[in-house]
Amino acid sequence: MTPNPLIDLRAVQKYYGDYHALRGIDLTIHQGEFFSLLGPSGCGKTTLLRTIAGFEDVSSGVVMIDGKSMEGVPANHRPTNMVFQSYAIFPHLTVAQNVGFGLRKDPRSKADKDKAVVEALAMVGLAGYGDRAANALSGGQRQRVALARALILEPKVLLLDEPLSALDKKMREQMQHELRRLQRQVGITFILVTHDQEEALIMSDRIAVMFEGEIAQLADPQTLYRRPVSRRVAEFIGVMNFLPCEVTQGAGDAIEVNLPGLGHATLQPDQCPSGGVPGTGSVGVRPEAMSILFEGEAASGQIAQAEVVEVIYYGDMTYYEVRFDAVEAPVTISMKNIVGRPVLERGDKARVSWDARSLVLFC
Amino acid sequence: MRKGRGLRTYTIFYLIFLYAPIVLLPLFAFNDSKIIAFPLKGFTTDWFVALWHKTELHQAVLKSLIIAVTTAVFATALGVFAARAGTKYRFRGKGPVLGFIMLPLVLPDIIVAVSLLVVLLRIGMGLGMTAAILGHVVICLPFAIAILNSAFSSLDQSLEEAAYDLGETPFSAFRLVILPLVMPGIISSLLITFTISLDEYIIASFLVGTEETLPVYLFNQMTKNSREIPVVLALGTVLVLFSILLLGIAEYFRRRGIARTGGKDTGGFL
Repeated sequence: MTPNPLIDLRAVQKYYGDYHALRGIDLTIHQGEFFSLLGPSGCGKTTLLRTIAGFEDVSSGVVMIDGKSMEGVPANHRPTNMVFQSYAIFPHLTVAQNVGFGLRKDPRSKADKDKAVVEALAMVGLAGYGDRAANALSGGQRQRVALARALILEPKVLLLDEPLSALDKKMREQMQHELRRLQRQVGITFILVTHDQEEALIMSDRIAVMFEGEIAQLADPQTLYRRPVSRRVAEFIGVMNFLPCEVTQGAGDAIEVNLPGLGHATLQPDQCPSGGVPGTGSVGVRPEAMSILFEGEAASGQIAQAEVVEVIYYGDMTYYEVRFDAVEAPVTISMKNIVGRPVLERGDKARVSWDARSLVLFC
Repeated sequence: MRKGRGLRTYTIFYLIFLYAPIVLLPLFAFNDSKIIAFPLKGFTTDWFVALWHKTELHQAVLKSLIIAVTTAVFATALGVFAARAGTKYRFRGKGPVLGFIMLPLVLPDIIVAVSLLVVLLRIGMGLGMTAAILGHVVICLPFAIAILNSAFSSLDQSLEEAAYDLGETPFSAFRLVILPLVMPGIISSLLITFTISLDEYIIASFLVGTEETLPVYLFNQMTKNSREIPVVLALGTVLVLFSILLLGIAEYFRRRGIARTGGKDTGGFL
């Protein structure tokens, strides 16, 4: 299946007075994709979503939806619908009136519209809630009403502005899976704005990480996690350790690095997003990409000696902070607590196994 | 407990001082004597009957009602514009402009009355009901804005955006979403401004000319003709009941508005 471009942003800039909120965004979002805009607060992700929705004008650049320029097209004429952070449920209407709000100008008969409302409510798991007052709903239920109200209009794009941030942890996890399921079911393009990297990884087909009004990296979740293009992206997505290193040979297909206390590694070009330049740099490695060797376990890769300086027990996992010889900052290693595997204590010596394939070089 | 005793006594005296005269009003309105003094003579409804037969009084009531209704409608309509602008838009000089509109709240009525009188005479506009309505709109507008501001600012901005998003124009979004949600505030504003205008004396007495409104008529009766005092008290009794009713309705709508938008009650006038 060749991806069908649905939304095209070209050199989009947005100023609020002197404040430069969007600094030249080029982005193509495909038909049927679950796309996330991920970044810390103030990075411009919500502004970008609102320019697609038509609530903000662009200062320069082009927003195209389905091949048509959206210049001068107000929000009520765009093929997009939005789920607001506050849900924006109309408090003076019932649940059914909220869901059917956008059907007012629909030429269908009242019976057909009522049927559509019932179906939309069933789709989000609120069958039978139609006659309730919108005010009497819980946060999770409001969220579902907002979803039904937007999806009933069968938009080309559904825009979600931090829709799960107001929910408690359990409800949030449940809604993450449900949103993903719903998106597959209806096949509509979803664009999600979130500051929660885990949420973005769980739900998205592709993620754009934004910092200061620019897209820092655009990739699928696995690439984003395994091969972040910069230290900043790596720090924002999950946990990453940074080890000092010396690049001894930078050019060509094999980049040679020396890791004090660990040893020597040969990296492929895709592990060095900024290229390999001889000199000092740092190498990123995820906590689960290293492991402590217990008795009877075989190494997969190289082995280094370390000392355990901190133990954090999570039940299913144990996080160790270990210190390698000649490396000042402690390194976090996560270990699954499988049957028969002991939990080490502070001060214990540990043999750490690591693999050059899991490293990312930042210069 | 000991600590609160002083304050409690003070509160009781304060309330007596505030409301005793109002309690005396119906007491003497039903008293069978032209002299306002204890002991009470006997029960009568004569004064209310007399009220019924005073045609000049009816004229004054009618004029007051016309002025009050017109004032309430204008002040509330203007208040809606101001409150909407104040809560939705950012513009240069917003603070000073809104502050300026609220100024009559602290300006003595007599100053408003005198300056309006001078200006109206100067531009050749005669005195009368139109002049009184103008004056009343000026003093009622701050109250209307204060009430409507709280109604508009308790609205979530994204409610309006959601309506646009679902296909409504700015006008229909206002009609379908904003208006129903601020309607309790609008009704509350109408009632308050109506009440203020209805019993306003100073501005009316300066600007109505020969067309006496109810408060002006009453004052003239009281000062010129002391035999009429029990009739005036009977009228006062009717007015007090009417005012309490209006304020009650206004408060009911204000609270309903807060409950509707899901806000917290921060205390009203009742």
